[in-house]
Amino acid sequence: MSKVTTLAEAVASIPSGAHVALSGFAITRCTMAFAREVIRQGIKELTVSQCVGAMDADLLVGAGAVERIVYGGGSLDRFGRLACVNRGIENGSLQAEEYSSLSVAFRYLAGSLGLPFIPIKSLRGSDLMKQIRERTGSNVGTITDPFTGDDWPVLKPLLPDVAVVQVQVSDEEGNAWIMGPRWDNVEQAKASKRTIIIAEQVVSGEVIRQNPEWTVIPGLLVSNVVELPFAAHPTSVYRVYDYDAGQIENYVKATCSPETLKTYLDEYVYGVKDHWEYLERMGGMKHLNTLRADPVLGY
Amino acid sequence: MNTNFDYTPSELMAVAGARELQDRQVVAVGLGLPVVASFLAKKTHAPNMTILFELGVIDPEPIHPGVGLADPRVWYRAKSLSSFVDILGTILHNKRVDVGFLGGLEVDQYGNLNTTLVGDPRGEFRHMIGSGGANDIASCAKRTIIIMRHEARKLKKAISFITSPGYLLGGASRAQTGLEGGPSRVITDKAILGFHPETKQMMLISIHPGNTLEDVLATMGFAPIVPSQVPITEPPEQEQIRLIREVVDPLKMYMG
Repeated sequence: MSKVTTLAEAVASIPSGAHVALSGFAITRCTMAFAREVIRQGIKELTVSQCVGAMDADLLVGAGAVERIVYGGGSLDRFGRLACVNRGIENGSLQAEEYSSLSVAFRYLAGSLGLPFIPIKSLRGSDLMKQIRERTGSNVGTITDPFTGDDWPVLKPLLPDVAVVQVQVSDEEGNAWIMGPRWDNVEQAKASKRTIIIAEQVVSGEVIRQNPEWTVIPGLLVSNVVELPFAAHPTSVYRVYDYDAGQIENYVKATCSPETLKTYLDEYVYGVKDHWEYLERMGGMKHLNTLRADPVLGY
Repeated sequence: MNTNFDYTPSELMAVAGARELQDRQVVAVGLGLPVVASFLAKKTHAPNMTILFELGVIDPEPIHPGVGLADPRVWYRAKSLSSFVDILGTILHNKRVDVGFLGGLEVDQYGNLNTTLVGDPRGEFRHMIGSGGANDIASCAKRTIIIMRHEARKLKKAISFITSPGYLLGGASRAQTGLEGGPSRVITDKAILGFHPETKQMMLISIHPGNTLEDVLATMGFAPIVPSQVPITEPPEQEQIRLIREVVDPLKMYMG
């Protein structure tokens, strides 16, 4: 069954206030085209989650679409910090539930398995643990191991309404391949009520059936498939295109202040009708072609 | 020994980090100096060491420097590309990581690390990077090595936020929370420090060539334990410096 739809329709299926798990990691496989469309459609009060905060979450926070972030800290690697997320935490406009990478991954994992909670070694003795207790009241607890009598911190499963995952290849049903490291993406999809796949390329079901062991997200978990080239721009998609250093630097400069961010949003988000117009504004194929990955290197 | 060559404090830190690593060990690494230390060890005395990056990368052999862990340049020629649950879960959480490298904004005398914020968490503060995998590595690795600049504003009596646990309040307090391991070394640009076996207070191990005990102590925000004899850190070998400059980090992406 084909689940292929447009980006606009897929985004319109997400109500304000939903919990959305995003597939980005710092500056790679970020759901950028998705984030820009969410902002254009005026969807608000989202909860966003990801193990390591990335550019997709930062842009959504900067545009005022996010009420709460559940993450393990993050940055834009050498390019800079998550300026919008940090500013929101500092001035109190963003509720932040801050963990470590593994604690968020374990919360997704518990969700993916249908477990009521998951024990973890991490967080003990830290101020992260204190802060999570204070801010959420109930998302961490303690349990006594019935076999050894040891006390363990336990985390609640994380159950997003929808996971939005940027992949290289999918078929029309959403059987998706992720090349390169997958960080938390598979657990995100499996913990969520449904998944939107944003694929650089949609291939026939026969391609998937010839190499089914490459499928890391089965289509049965997927509600929508959107085919969109350069959908992660300016972040990278391994084996397809490299990150666009100039455009990430441009974003970092723009996010220094709310005023410059507004100019950026006006130009690259509100000022374009859709992703195709965005790509034209970025220099079109002539520029994007310079980012194409070398097949041996993958970048 | 030929000592007639120059090296920078950063290069000495990388060499000191490499010397802490043994062949066949499994090492969890973030970017920066730990990458240089780990690849240097692999190219010298520890060819069978395994390098892990938290997002799912095992034993890469990069040929181009990357801007961070999210840069596919640092994943090149990996033996396995998987996930957080694989690397931080089945390997780290399951006690299979021998050494974890950690850096930070601030460290206190018990090796507790802050990478979350500067200022007062209940008042004015600036939010920084947060944990990433650092808290997990600090909690679950068999031992950790902290790499920091030697400055009083970084080596502090009280830190603003404990992102990653060291020995917490010292003594048995870490063990009492159910954590094993803990920091074993702090490598700075002026000295190498360790931790007292009982009190878990930071303790001077050696001072790098060209530095004095007075200067080392004056640039710390707390007083470490100072043994009666503090040796000079063994300087790098010429071959180690050559490898750093020509093979491991020729573009000085990590050494600054």
